[in-house]
Amino acid sequence: MKAQKWVVLLLFSPFVFGFSQDNTTLFTQATAYYNQGNYTKAIANYEQILQNGEHSAALYYNLGNCYYKRNATGPAIYYYEKALRLAPNDKEILNNLHYARNMRLDAIEPLPQTRLIQRYHTIVYFFSFDQWAYIALTWIFLGILTYLIYFFLRRTRQKRAAFLVSIFCLMLAAGSMVIAYIQYQDVTNENTAIIFSPEVHVFSEPNSRSEALFTLHEGTKASVLNQWKNWSKIQLANGQTGWLISNNIRLLNDF
Amino acid sequence: MYLYPPETMIDFLKTVFQLPANNPFTGRSGYNTPFGNASQCNGQGVVAERYPKLTGKPKKPVPTFRSKILGFLAALLVIGPFLYAQEKEVIFQVNLSKEKLGVNERLRVEFSMNKDGDNFNPPSFKGFKVAMGPSQSVSSSWVNGVRSFSKTYSYILVPTARGQFTIGQATIDIEGNQYKTLPQTVVVTTSVDHPNAPPTATDIANESLYLVAELSKTNPYLNEAVTVVYKLYVSPEISVTDYRPLDTPAYHNFWSQEIPITEYTPQNGTYRGRPYRYVILKKVVLYPQKSGKLNLEPLSLEVSADIPTNRRDFFGLRMYTPTSKTVTAGRRTLEVKPLPEPGKPANFNGAVGNFEFSVTVSKKQLNALESLQAKIEVSGAGNLKLFQLPEPELPGALEVYEPEYEEHIKTSSLGMQGKVANTYTIVPSFKGKYPVPGSSFSYFNPETEKYVTLHSKAITIEVLKGPTASTSIPPLGTTANQPPVIPQVKPFYFIKLTPNLKGIGTTYFLGSLPFYAVLFTLLALPFGIIFAFKKQAALAGDRVSRKIQRANRRAKKYLATAKKQLGDKDAFYIAMEKGLHNYLKAKLNLETSEFSKEKITKILQEKQVEKAAIQDFTALLNNCEIARYSPFSNVQMQNDYEKARTVISNVDKQL
Repeated sequence: MKAQKWVVLLLFSPFVFGFSQDNTTLFTQATAYYNQGNYTKAIANYEQILQNGEHSAALYYNLGNCYYKRNATGPAIYYYEKALRLAPNDKEILNNLHYARNMRLDAIEPLPQTRLIQRYHTIVYFFSFDQWAYIALTWIFLGILTYLIYFFLRRTRQKRAAFLVSIFCLMLAAGSMVIAYIQYQDVTNENTAIIFSPEVHVFSEPNSRSEALFTLHEGTKASVLNQWKNWSKIQLANGQTGWLISNNIRLLNDF
Repeated sequence: MYLYPPETMIDFLKTVFQLPANNPFTGRSGYNTPFGNASQCNGQGVVAERYPKLTGKPKKPVPTFRSKILGFLAALLVIGPFLYAQEKEVIFQVNLSKEKLGVNERLRVEFSMNKDGDNFNPPSFKGFKVAMGPSQSVSSSWVNGVRSFSKTYSYILVPTARGQFTIGQATIDIEGNQYKTLPQTVVVTTSVDHPNAPPTATDIANESLYLVAELSKTNPYLNEAVTVVYKLYVSPEISVTDYRPLDTPAYHNFWSQEIPITEYTPQNGTYRGRPYRYVILKKVVLYPQKSGKLNLEPLSLEVSADIPTNRRDFFGLRMYTPTSKTVTAGRRTLEVKPLPEPGKPANFNGAVGNFEFSVTVSKKQLNALESLQAKIEVSGAGNLKLFQLPEPELPGALEVYEPEYEEHIKTSSLGMQGKVANTYTIVPSFKGKYPVPGSSFSYFNPETEKYVTLHSKAITIEVLKGPTASTSIPPLGTTANQPPVIPQVKPFYFIKLTPNLKGIGTTYFLGSLPFYAVLFTLLALPFGIIFAFKKQAALAGDRVSRKIQRANRRAKKYLATAKKQLGDKDAFYIAMEKGLHNYLKAKLNLETSEFSKEKITKILQEKQVEKAAIQDFTALLNNCEIARYSPFSNVQMQNDYEKARTVISNVDKQL
């Protein structure tokens, strides 16, 4: 009997003591805490999962929800944005992000864009760059297939049709690849950060003696252009730039 | 005071200052010198000391010896006045007619005493020449059984020079004690126009009217309230009939507010050690707006007054001379301290005093497009009108209108008191939660000399019903003020239940090894396929050429003997026929004996060799036979040889 028990335990041990199983229980526990309104404990669980080295869009989204419930504007927006990095077009994340954005104190109007640029953005960001990469590979495959068909066909008319289809597919493939790389460059070079501190003064130079240009509040998005010692040069959506102390902000691509 | 019409002021002041003659504050009857007081007190003291002896006597149970009583009474009669005289204090004093005189005037000096004495010794009147004197006068009177005695030595002096001189001490011996007068100082000035004239009405007015500006503080802090009270001091001897302001001070570098005075009540007070009546004419609260030395411009008044003269009218009443005088409150200087720099809060905006601070909202829960009021209020005492209220930090998504400012301030001599408030109307457009962080307000308390910062609590406004926000980048050309298109109502979604956990790290497909592997495989695929196909084709081509080569080689081999016999007609054709037969034997495994043209044609037709080739082959065999019996040239032989080669290779290709 005893030996049998041990065998069973050994058989199931990878699931019981395994990494993944542990994190999943933490996650379900956190869901229970959240539903009870115990957001602090839920956050602790999610943080534990992150410390264990695992993440997901759902995890970041849930963290954002917890912080929103606790009126912490900065962390809420930060985690929603992070969730969007992993799931760019998730409706729920976008919806709750708008709720969190309502809590922001700063109303920064983004610079207006021309319709052409807007269309370009909607096209480029319609899929993630990985999806674009898959699409490109599919087109390449189709293009090559039709090329081979062209090659082996004997009749001129069929050959011509196959060749045209092949060229079209390969052009689409090249286009998708270019878009994928553009987006990849954008995403990897982008240094977007969220302001974490309740209030930050932005200076004209990387020292506190210089002129304080404006004040930002938590939750505002800014892109980091430059860094020098413990100061960061940021740019806002309305084009304004200035320096602030780096520990007031958190970078989004800092996974 | 300038707020009131002058007529009412005049009437009022007349009632204030022209009091009836029996008023203790008018007329000289109430004028008590310290000396007068002293003598009176002394007299009362004597009476009090004496009466117990008299009143106490009947109560005393003394034996009734008539002689004793009579003797006692007689003794009292004799000693009583003596006792009284004995106990009265000796006064020996000097009186000067003037303390200040022109060099062409005369000075009267009187040394008076209330008891007779001997050895009067006048001082040396240095700087003066004795024009007359000493003249003695003695007066003695009994009033209500009290004897008063006075003896006076008087001198008339003429100054000999300008300057300040001292009338020294005079001495006298009274009852064995030596008494001395106090030294007096006399100022002799340049000669005057009317020597020895009595003091004019102007002189009296000069000494009887004073305008004084009293400051509550002389070194206040910046923006700390200072009260200036203008008091008009009027000597009881004169009566004021009218006054008129000449110059209204402008309080530069001050924020000033005048406290209206509703009632001018005369009060008693002393000014420079003398009793006066005074009335408060004006009260101003000042808030210094600059640090450093600040001057207050003086207030000037023209006062009309009635001055009593020595003349009397028919009924014996004193006659008054009207006169007017300009009085000015002296120029006052305030030393304003700047607010201390150390410990100054960042959000300090000039509030000085003692305040309370509150931020309130009319409702905390509402629907979208309803309005709520947020009120920021500062109450207390201080420069309430002189600072900006702190602005609340509201979420940018809320629509906030310009604030409505209201104030309820009372200004008293202590400064401004009350409250100021800004009311903001807020209209939320979208459903959600809007936390309003706490505001802070800082002020300087001049009493404790410290900065105080007050904080309000954070408030969360909840919008229960309404559209959800959709933030999108406005396209160029659309106005930002346009109300957003109301999207469908979406709630704040619940958390996600499926974890879908992955290891943290950048696991992008683009640029990864499998990506490149797939990409290059796909790109290489057509090249591979096409290359393989081409190779196949090439191999197929090779086989044909090798066949040809082999056929040529075989033809060459079988025709080799024939080639050697080229030129020798018979041998050549025999060799060629043999070669052709040998070729067929080797190729088709035939017996030589069975060879005939028909059989060869039949076999070759069976092998599906082209007819032309067969014909060529049989034609060549025919030629061989014909050539044995007919002359053939060398050229023909050469031709036949070549023909044989092609025929063999042609047939060989098809077999």
